[in-house]
Amino acid sequence: MCANSAAQLEGGNWRRRREEKARRLNKAGRIARGRVLPTGSIVAALEALIEPGDRVFVEGNNQKQADFLSRSLARVDAGKVHDLHLLISSLSRPEHLDVFERGIARKTDFAYAGPQSLRVAQLLTDGKLKIGAIHTYLELYGRLVLDLAPTVALVAAEQADAAGNLYTGPNTEDTPAVVEATAFRDGIVIAQVNELAEELPRVDLPGSWVDFVVEADRPFHIEPLFTRDPRHISEVQILMAMLTIRGIYERHEVKSLNHGIGFDTAAIELLLPTYGESLGLRGKVCTHWALNPHPTLIPAIESGWVEAVVAFGSEVGMENYTAARPDVFMTGGDGSLRSNRAFAQTAGLYAADAFVGSTLQIDRDANSSTVTRGRLAGFGGAPNLGSDARGRRHTTPAWLSMITGESEVERGRKLVVQLAETFSDGQTPRFVESLDAVEVGRNAGLPLAPVMIYGDDTTHIVTEEGIAYLYRARNLKERREALAAVAGVTPVGLKHDRSREKRLRRDGLVAFPEDLGVRRTDARRSLLAAQSIGDLVEWSGGLYNPPDRFRTW
Amino acid sequence: MSAPSIPRVHFTELSARERAKALLEAGTFRELLGPFERIESPHLSPQGVVPQSDDGVVVARGTIDGSPAVILAIEAAFQGGGIGEVSGAKIAGALELALGDAEAGTPVRPVLVLETGGIRLQEANLGLLAIAEVHAAIIALRRYVPVVGVIAGPLGCFGGMSIAAGLCSYLIMTREGRLGLNGPAVIEEEAGVAELDSRDNRRVWDIMGGEQRVAVGMADTLTEDDPDSVARAVREAFAAGLPERHRSAKVERYETRLGVIDSSQELDGQKLRSIWAEERR
Repeated sequence: MCANSAAQLEGGNWRRRREEKARRLNKAGRIARGRVLPTGSIVAALEALIEPGDRVFVEGNNQKQADFLSRSLARVDAGKVHDLHLLISSLSRPEHLDVFERGIARKTDFAYAGPQSLRVAQLLTDGKLKIGAIHTYLELYGRLVLDLAPTVALVAAEQADAAGNLYTGPNTEDTPAVVEATAFRDGIVIAQVNELAEELPRVDLPGSWVDFVVEADRPFHIEPLFTRDPRHISEVQILMAMLTIRGIYERHEVKSLNHGIGFDTAAIELLLPTYGESLGLRGKVCTHWALNPHPTLIPAIESGWVEAVVAFGSEVGMENYTAARPDVFMTGGDGSLRSNRAFAQTAGLYAADAFVGSTLQIDRDANSSTVTRGRLAGFGGAPNLGSDARGRRHTTPAWLSMITGESEVERGRKLVVQLAETFSDGQTPRFVESLDAVEVGRNAGLPLAPVMIYGDDTTHIVTEEGIAYLYRARNLKERREALAAVAGVTPVGLKHDRSREKRLRRDGLVAFPEDLGVRRTDARRSLLAAQSIGDLVEWSGGLYNPPDRFRTW
Repeated sequence: MSAPSIPRVHFTELSARERAKALLEAGTFRELLGPFERIESPHLSPQGVVPQSDDGVVVARGTIDGSPAVILAIEAAFQGGGIGEVSGAKIAGALELALGDAEAGTPVRPVLVLETGGIRLQEANLGLLAIAEVHAAIIALRRYVPVVGVIAGPLGCFGGMSIAAGLCSYLIMTREGRLGLNGPAVIEEEAGVAELDSRDNRRVWDIMGGEQRVAVGMADTLTEDDPDSVARAVREAFAAGLPERHRSAKVERYETRLGVIDSSQELDGQKLRSIWAEERR
């Protein structure tokens, strides 16, 4: 950009980007009818609008996918369009990597690569893909408005009108952040829509931000990523949920929080109306949530636990339910949910008392990672949510309760809680000497090991053995002792010195179930407010409409 | 709106032993060959499978509506409810004892709680033999007293034990229960994913789910998934007495049913219901 600026100064031209955009729009003028691109001409349109070396943002995260546009991009003539720099939240569909196979794209900056993580590693080894960096969601959005402005953005919405106004429906997600970063730097915004409509239920993005709309061959894909069938929640997970409610939510008065994806946190959600109610905690904890509309939160909402939810995205099947609970969920004038990943991530980072999530591996210093051998999965949003926000200034009882020092100037902390049964599937230890992420990072040539949540951000670890209150440790030795005390018979737990246990418990570094008044034998599935998807439908009064794959009737 | 009572008790959440207790009158449950007798399968340990001290079948005596009863409940959590030599012998033996009682004029009410994928593969031939004995015992016994089957789910009832279900005088299902000779995963593996995608739950339950099986008369009663409702359905089945003819004796009826189906046409649950609607019951 520096070289560019010098040229601009010499020539006195400050409108190069705008002129470039106008030139390209002119090229596509032959294909478009106003702002509408004909479905059948999309490949030709992309070939006219995208040029070699462009930075192209393709909307795709762990939920919503602009899949008509990504499939079309993979079909362009690689002789005309090549060496693109692909910006994407999540590399999750086969065609996201086909473009590298075909030479259409060469480099990528992304946040997550769940289902395609093995292939990412392979293409990297083959030299067909270069990684700029792996980000968290907020970092990526930040870079879109700073040093990675997209030349072209390919996004998805439910409906558009002839003026290019977009209605995203409940799955607004990343679209506003991406479109803003593109449109206001004279990039080109192309939106695929499920249908063109005369009138929109509401306008989520104004038409003046959007250059073209195109009707997709089929509705954009959404993954029901946040649905957990209560049938698969184990009694060990229920025990851990009871410990978390008693030893963390109640003790620290956690009012606002984010829950990660998984059965561990689903168990907590389903215990609030039963176990939480028996402790008299309704209204005192868990009132405000940065959370997608988890079906397993329905019983807590229906029992009056939840005041507000801000959602990153929607969840398939929850559309009617969220629309019928506007006091709880953010909804538009049309009644349907409005989600926004950037704002919900910001809420989780700065406004929430606690992040509570599950992880696959934890080392003795409490660093944790979901990376497993050979898979380069990336980060998504978890590190934004699962880290202390040192720029936070407003106080809450939970945030203040993390203060252990006694100086005049102290700051509180976000609670970062990791739930981890000591063994996965009863076989693989979760507490390990060295994270797989270290080796994966080294093999991929990354400058740093891809750690999801750093140990120094982690305040609590919960296992079926008990809770380690890491924030109370005065030094590294105490941290390691506390963690080992709850790590069971894993390699880390076996290093635990039993003779220190009494002191760790007395000093409040470790609590076992009996210290918290939790009886292991009470951890029964009958304590779950809903024990099946069918129960969740019933709790919702028939408003929750589960996807077919979750129906067992 | 009315929220469900918290927490709701589901029959499908209960273990085999708890299910047997739920079906018998309170305080009458008495287990025969219980886990402390340690009658285990001798075939599992050599194959690296940890055996269970009741071999996954609970035989319980007690009363239903004041009459003596025997419950044979299969535990889905052990080896997918698979029938082996010992568990099969427990069921067949109990049914044969009930037959002896019936012949002596003191009938015992038999209830099969079926939650099984069929034969336990680790002891296939012996399991097959045991299941054949179960079939023979049901046919002998049902001349005297109704044999009642319960398929609550969520596993369902498949393989040789689905034939046992078909031989029962009355069959009670919940909407989550499934009944089929072959399970969906087996069909997919044998006939290909185009024939049946075993992960397509809607299609699977449309074919073999409790609602469909009751709608087309392959099972008799659709009940709610809670202990009281299932126990009530069992009591009502015995109160109805012996059926005029058992389902499995109506050979010509099922031949007619097969005859009216055009197998070149794609069928779904609703279509089958309407095709068979005329001669139901």
